[in-house]
Amino acid sequence: MKLHCFERTFFHSSSSLTPIQLPSPMETHLWYVKPSEVKSGSLLNQYLDILPPCERENVLQMRGEELRKSALLARALVRTTIARYQINSHSNPRSLKFRKNLHGKPEVQWQFRDDQHPPPLHFNISHTTSLVACGVTTNAQIGIDVEEKHRSIKHNILSFARRYFSKHEVQFLAAISDPQVQRMEFIKLWTLKEAYVKALGKGFSGAPFKTFTIRFKGVMEGGFITLEDLSPKASEIVVDSFDDPADLTSNWQFSLLELANSHYAAICTEKHGAGSGKRNAPGKLTVWKTVPFLEDECVSGTAAVKIICGVQ
Amino acid sequence: MASFTASSVSFSAVSCSFKQNKVSSLGKGSLSFSGNGSPSRRLPALRFRVSCAAKPETVNKVVDIVRKQLALPADRDVSGESKFATLGADSLDTVEIVMGLEEEFGISVEEESAQSITTVQDAADLIEKLLEKK
Repeated sequence: MKLHCFERTFFHSSSSLTPIQLPSPMETHLWYVKPSEVKSGSLLNQYLDILPPCERENVLQMRGEELRKSALLARALVRTTIARYQINSHSNPRSLKFRKNLHGKPEVQWQFRDDQHPPPLHFNISHTTSLVACGVTTNAQIGIDVEEKHRSIKHNILSFARRYFSKHEVQFLAAISDPQVQRMEFIKLWTLKEAYVKALGKGFSGAPFKTFTIRFKGVMEGGFITLEDLSPKASEIVVDSFDDPADLTSNWQFSLLELANSHYAAICTEKHGAGSGKRNAPGKLTVWKTVPFLEDECVSGTAAVKIICGVQ
Repeated sequence: MASFTASSVSFSAVSCSFKQNKVSSLGKGSLSFSGNGSPSRRLPALRFRVSCAAKPETVNKVVDIVRKQLALPADRDVSGESKFATLGADSLDTVEIVMGLEEEFGISVEEESAQSITTVQDAADLIEKLLEKK
């Protein structure tokens, strides 16, 4: 059963999850929850109930109610989201097992009775206290990062950039005279860099921020254009990696969005079949706002999703 | 349990801490997430480390920087044992905290080391290690 975006809202009377097909190879699914919109104590209890003891403990260890809530929603979102895809008829969010790869990146530990190929589902989550998101792809590594648009940076932006970003990126930020704009461009750049490192799955030290540059094709040399000036179709976000020549720019594609008017979200996914000289069409992105077990709303093409750069 | 290693002798007693918020039994009734008014009763963690532990002043400076970065309420307990993650530090916070520590102590922290810091104590110990090298 495929969810069509023109049927926007689905209501469920009981604890059910609308099943959905895996995204096609060039497609990304993004699911998000706003903690402020989840008020029911019994619903939060339901979420707690689908977690194994160790995850429950981690949630309850968080210091402060807001932190506990967003930590709980993060686990509930990832479990319910993956359960929707009903891989090998597994549709129970409670029965999913997770583990971390060699470098600490979370992945599903699929349960098999016989020797089968692991399902092609990939996911990544990111959360702030005000928004929790989960991205899903098929046969492609994915990394996502969300940040509040109005997040305050305690340090001087350029000092921070000189310490952690690449020279090219420092130049990009230094050319911005308005401090508010500079801060927002910094946050966008941060989310893109985080998304890339998370997609690589090698951990923060596996791809130190200084060793790669993320830039926007279409930015003029010596000056700058904010991403708003560029039409999404004309521009592309690319990465240049200094340390790892094998990690080609053409392997990764980026999308940058504004979600719910409040957050920047960056998505980095592996590109397949990047033929030499062939220009790949930007991937398709479908976004749902959800309150798991209660309500799903496809928000692609609405004001809740503003594409800054990268996808159709 | 006492353990002897080549470089340090450490004794650690079981640290008794009562969590501030009691959680009602799961699956029943309403879930109470809210912290209540009763003060936390916590016995001090008994830990005597002869060699490599950071000075209390260092730990306190780290606590100050963490409090400021995360804008923690005054009644939020932060000590050496506190984990950055459970205090709510995300990756950007952690990087800002490390930068704050570099500025405060005049040191330089590599990515690998930064990634291994999970508690306030870890940060304080690393700082003193780096200061010793200078």
